Amino acid sequence: MSSSRVAVDAAPARRDGSGAVAKLRRLRTEYARLGVPLALVVALLAIAAWRVPQLFTVVGLAGAILVAAPLMLATMAITPIAMAGRGGVDLSIGPAVGFINVTIVTWLVSAGIEHPGLVFVYAMLAGVLWQLMVGAAIVFVRVSPIIVTLAGFMILQGLNLVILPRPGGLAPDWLSDWGYGTTLFGPVLAVLVGAFLFWYAFTRTALFTHLKLMGSDERTAFACGVDVTRVRLLAHLIGGVFIGLAAICQTALIGSGDPTQGNQLTLQAITALVLGGTALSGGRGGALGSVLGATAMYLIFVVLSSFNFGAISGFMTQMSYGLILVAALLLSLLGTRPGRDARVAA
Amino acid sequence: MRLSGVGKHFGETRALAGATLTAVGGEIHAVVGENGSGKSTLAKVISGVVLPDEGGVDVCGVHPANPRAARDAGIVTIYQEILLADDLTVLDNLFAGIDGLLRHREGRAVRHERASVLLERLVGEPVDPDRLVSTLPLSVRQWIVIARALLLEPRVLVFDESSAALDLEATERLHAEMLALRDRGACVLLVTHRIAELVKIADRATVLRDGATVGSLGRDEISEARLLELMSATARSRCRVVRAKSTDPVRRAVLVTEALQLSCAAVPIDFRLDAGEIAGIAGLDGAGQAGFVRALAGIDIPFSGQVTSIGTTGDARPIRTVDEAEQGGVTYVSGDRRREGLFPDLSIQENFGLAMMDRRVTRLGILDREGIRQDFEQEARTLKLRYGHADDRITTLSGGNQQKVLIARALARRARVIVLNDPTRGVDIGTKQDLYEQLRLFADGGGAVVFLSSELEEFFGLADRVDVFRADSVFATCRGADQIAEAPLLAALFGQADSAARPLRSGSPPDSGPRSIAPGTCP
Repeated sequence: MSSSRVAVDAAPARRDGSGAVAKLRRLRTEYARLGVPLALVVALLAIAAWRVPQLFTVVGLAGAILVAAPLMLATMAITPIAMAGRGGVDLSIGPAVGFINVTIVTWLVSAGIEHPGLVFVYAMLAGVLWQLMVGAAIVFVRVSPIIVTLAGFMILQGLNLVILPRPGGLAPDWLSDWGYGTTLFGPVLAVLVGAFLFWYAFTRTALFTHLKLMGSDERTAFACGVDVTRVRLLAHLIGGVFIGLAAICQTALIGSGDPTQGNQLTLQAITALVLGGTALSGGRGGALGSVLGATAMYLIFVVLSSFNFGAISGFMTQMSYGLILVAALLLSLLGTRPGRDARVAA
Repeated sequence: MRLSGVGKHFGETRALAGATLTAVGGEIHAVVGENGSGKSTLAKVISGVVLPDEGGVDVCGVHPANPRAARDAGIVTIYQEILLADDLTVLDNLFAGIDGLLRHREGRAVRHERASVLLERLVGEPVDPDRLVSTLPLSVRQWIVIARALLLEPRVLVFDESSAALDLEATERLHAEMLALRDRGACVLLVTHRIAELVKIADRATVLRDGATVGSLGRDEISEARLLELMSATARSRCRVVRAKSTDPVRRAVLVTEALQLSCAAVPIDFRLDAGEIAGIAGLDGAGQAGFVRALAGIDIPFSGQVTSIGTTGDARPIRTVDEAEQGGVTYVSGDRRREGLFPDLSIQENFGLAMMDRRVTRLGILDREGIRQDFEQEARTLKLRYGHADDRITTLSGGNQQKVLIARALARRARVIVLNDPTRGVDIGTKQDLYEQLRLFADGGGAVVFLSSELEEFFGLADRVDVFRADSVFATCRGADQIAEAPLLAALFGQADSAARPLRSGSPPDSGPRSIAPGTCP
């Protein structure tokens, strides 16, 4: 008798509880991959607070945002492309950012097109067009992404030097002004927030689910009737929008054109992408992780420059990127070992 | 829905040759046939995954050209493989492909509710739609695939052998779903080789053989006997029979298994292969026969039990790895040449010579190419290999001749036991004959052969006995010319209930008799 009453009482309570638990579990499964990059960023912030306290002033933070923004946006640009699967990591990202940078300070400035709206439209359109070409070659010509984007890397690298043989030129005045970075809530932060809102809207679409589905298992996606061609192409186009934004922030940072600086951005962005927990095999990932990864990269750079390595500090930074990348991958492997949950389920 | 004269080739293989099928709404229509009779290909044609080479497909007035077009026409297919994206949640998998490009058709909460209700009804217990698919057991994944199809409210639902992972009680629930769909006016197309299942549930049955429709039965005509009769009608072109010579009176075992279990609940197999014997292995897809021959050759590790090879001097060696199989004189020849046999970028001779790498080397460790060439030419002569030049790429050969090179490789290893896993897939009839003759010669010379085939007529006149697999164990063993024939083999394959067709003779060893397929206990 009493046991039955307990059961009756317990039932509604359990339903309420299970709703919250389910929501929690969903968040956990969705954001589990962020654990390692988040821990890394927190640890690096702690070290930075000790070594570089000036980072935590208004000027320090404004400068940090300014310097880190191009890498953050570049990493966000290659996130949807990597999530689409087939090992689709975009090597051409760096020179593509560089291309937009040099064309803004040469073509646009010499044509007198300096209006902020027009420059933004140009940058994003150029990024989208470039990704349209890359994506079309991958989707329709069926060339492996790594080859297409490697070729794109070399083509743009050369083209940038043709357009602007050596660093120089002047960015439009309003864009150069962004580069002073004296206020915390400056225009670069606004671009970052805008990019994030765009990404958030993207994750709410069915397209994003299809993208994850396709990256996780392309055969399943095809058999379920997902238009894999269109989804892959759109992933590239969305990446192109972020390339444009990255180029704007890069131009604001240096205030001029630099045909070669973008090249390093490729390797840094891929490192940040992997640090942020996006799987290069596709299916898993997100902009939050990519931003965390890029932040970690920036903090490593800041912390290391506070030590006096003299002439070799650049090499130390490179080496640290590599070591931390390996360590992060090992940690996330331990964290997401399959079978633990499966065994519980069985 | 109407399909007429549909034909489809895959390379040299003819999967469908004029299959015809007419199904209407409000019926459960079964498509039956042996392995390789083209029933799966037919299902893929209907769902737009495979485009037919010839013939017309008309499903509700549409000709589906890809899976999406088929789905838009109301045709939903549940495939043999469990197609799920493991990294995504149950919910995302359930509603995959339903949405438009950008917009979700309905809110997340609505979906969550629908998914929970449907999954609870199907699985029999609540399943959290927010879980990742990779954390769920196989049977639940199977249900997710089925639920995904049901959510689309299909007009035509194609089940391609999709109840394999379900137990008896779950199958009952699935049948209830099928009946409900039928009563709503949908057409349920059930592609199966589980005859017992379809006798119970199907309203009509179309029987396929060798890619062509051989008959269509109404509700009252469907019976096991009638279906088997149609599937095995003798109009086939029989291949020339290779006579078995009288075997050695002294029987000497060369390969035995002790209490070999292929899965947890399977009945243990005590298999014995004698010198001079050709043992056929038959079974429907997934009955465990492929796992068994792979375990014999040390390629797969069985669930439990032991494989032992016995040498000429009576020395027994366990076989647990491919290396140990090799040392015990057991060689494996796969029918899946592309994946498990050939190196397509290497020449014919290099493909052959892989077996000789340890023997044909000079003292300095350099390959003796001349010696390999002589070995190759000798084997090529005995096998009647047709080739241009030994240095040509192996892919210049026809499928049958490629297979001959692989068998030559096995023979050159001086194997005492050759394990063949469906070696004649995509091989023409003349080459098959050459292969049979070589196998017979090999056996008469003291070797032993384990020959798995998905085509029953290959055993006629070749095999000394045929072990028929069901539920990961030997269900029956057929011996002698009258037993190794179409009717008794088919009866054993499909496990007909009446004992008339139980292919046992009094002389058979008791341990290979028909077994109950009730689950045993796990060690």
